[in-house]
Amino acid sequence: MKNNICIARITIFCLFLLLALTASYAQAEHTVIRILYLNDFHGFAEPYKPFGSDENLGGIAYLSAKLNSLRNETDSLLLSAGDMIQGNNWANLSQGEAVIELMNAMKFDAMVLGNHEFDFGQDVLKKRISEAKFPVLGANVEGLDLLKPYVIKEVAGVKIGIIGIVTDDTPVTTHPGNVAGLAFIYPEDSAQKYIKELKGRTDIIVVLSHIGYSADRRLSEKVEGINVIVGGHSHTKALSPTIINKTIVLQAWEHAKALGVLDLTVEDGRIEKYEGHLEEIRPEPGRDDKNITAIVEKYREKVDTVLNETVGEAGVDFDGENVREKETNLGDLIADIMRETALADIALINGGTIRTSIKKGELKVKHIYAVLPFDNYIVAVRLTGKQIREALEHGVSAIEEGAGRFPQVSRLSFTYSSAEKPGSRVKEVLIAGNPIDLNKEYSVATNDFLAAGGDGYKAFGDAVKSSRDFSVVGGTMKGEKLTYSDSGRWLRDVVIEYIKGKRIISPAIEGRTTETP
Amino acid sequence: MKVFVNDIPIEILPGMTVRHALISADLFRETESSKKVYDEWGNEVGLDGALAEGAKIYVR
Repeated sequence: MKNNICIARITIFCLFLLLALTASYAQAEHTVIRILYLNDFHGFAEPYKPFGSDENLGGIAYLSAKLNSLRNETDSLLLSAGDMIQGNNWANLSQGEAVIELMNAMKFDAMVLGNHEFDFGQDVLKKRISEAKFPVLGANVEGLDLLKPYVIKEVAGVKIGIIGIVTDDTPVTTHPGNVAGLAFIYPEDSAQKYIKELKGRTDIIVVLSHIGYSADRRLSEKVEGINVIVGGHSHTKALSPTIINKTIVLQAWEHAKALGVLDLTVEDGRIEKYEGHLEEIRPEPGRDDKNITAIVEKYREKVDTVLNETVGEAGVDFDGENVREKETNLGDLIADIMRETALADIALINGGTIRTSIKKGELKVKHIYAVLPFDNYIVAVRLTGKQIREALEHGVSAIEEGAGRFPQVSRLSFTYSSAEKPGSRVKEVLIAGNPIDLNKEYSVATNDFLAAGGDGYKAFGDAVKSSRDFSVVGGTMKGEKLTYSDSGRWLRDVVIEYIKGKRIISPAIEGRTTETP
Repeated sequence: MKVFVNDIPIEILPGMTVRHALISADLFRETESSKKVYDEWGNEVGLDGALAEGAKIYVR
């Protein structure tokens, strides 16, 4: 009898032990954590038709609804790999405040700065960081105290160290004044430093990176100890995770057109399994997150208010209709503003940049947006007198067709004859009233479209080809040929600021471009 | 900065994007149709995507 009781006790004990071990094993095997990620949102809150597409994609309220359902399935983290607050008018007109409100409502866990987060200047950036209810990271940025190099998050008992890395190209991708006093350390050095600091304190290391997909791949090849890189900057649609040197490399396209999903199965602090994909976002009626829709609509109304704001007065009619065939007062005005902003010797833009006219009277923000609808920014490049003359020849080579290449200029005047054959039409060229010196270099303000060779303007491309060194020295862009570049400020916003400073604008045609028989 | 579009070398300024490289290569209009841009690993990239020195992109 005593033996039977003993056997029964041992059996019950063994059963308990077996159950406990099974439960423990099952728990260890099923610790699944989900990383949800977004990059390069650029304020594209509403769905839109991407260039070349017939379909509306994106919409942050639809993305948020998908996010909520994915969060309900398992323990999750929501990360942003940067370039969130600048780009689309919806974000720009509140200097990114709208985006931070969205991100707070969506309960982001962390974000790394992208280069475009600096585009509104450091004061605005500090305000945005202080509004964020999540840590903003930048391990390789020195001089901005509000940034954290990393953060440790615990998800389902798994400790995750998240290190933020920003592109060290930031000083040449925003206005130098926006990064004055800051230093951008080489990403690999900072990643290594903080991985060492986190050693033994976390189970998993995630690098939240805004350095671009190819640099992420290089980082994973060179730096040991990174489990996951959640990247941005190159707007790469990485449909599934890629493993490089034991590091999982990810990126989720752009503009809220996709939400990245990575499921990690973790056992004893080690990743045993991973699965990932992109959820493409489409606006499906009724399937939006209503809280996020309310924020999107609130700021859309604010955008409408800003667009209707009066910024000055047009003392005369501004001619944007004839910009493809002759000098106009609106062409002169915009070229002058560009030259003054870039502190360049002259300015030369394609008439096709200017899309409409403005009637005499109140000047509203929406008028300037209609005149300059493209997301162009100001660039200044050194060209020789010979290259400028060639650019002018190209500019007047297709007047008969009303081509957008016709030049609108500042601090430069020239005569031409359309009776001559293309390539031999330009006659006299003066710069600041003096004959152009074909061998001398002049700084020429233009837009990024022309600087890239748009509308067939090869002169800028030729100058760029011969230029090798670009750097920021003492807060100014220095380079053999490039003297100014501010990709974070659209030309239309520069024009609006200028008008605000003058109030009444009455540009007149000055005879900068004269057709001769 | 030198990048490659359909294996042809193109010079663009620092900070310029996929869009600028296509303009420079006179291929931007191709993306108006159903053609898309891919990186050297076959991932689609957005027109505003940053490019690094030596980057290779393809329009197809």
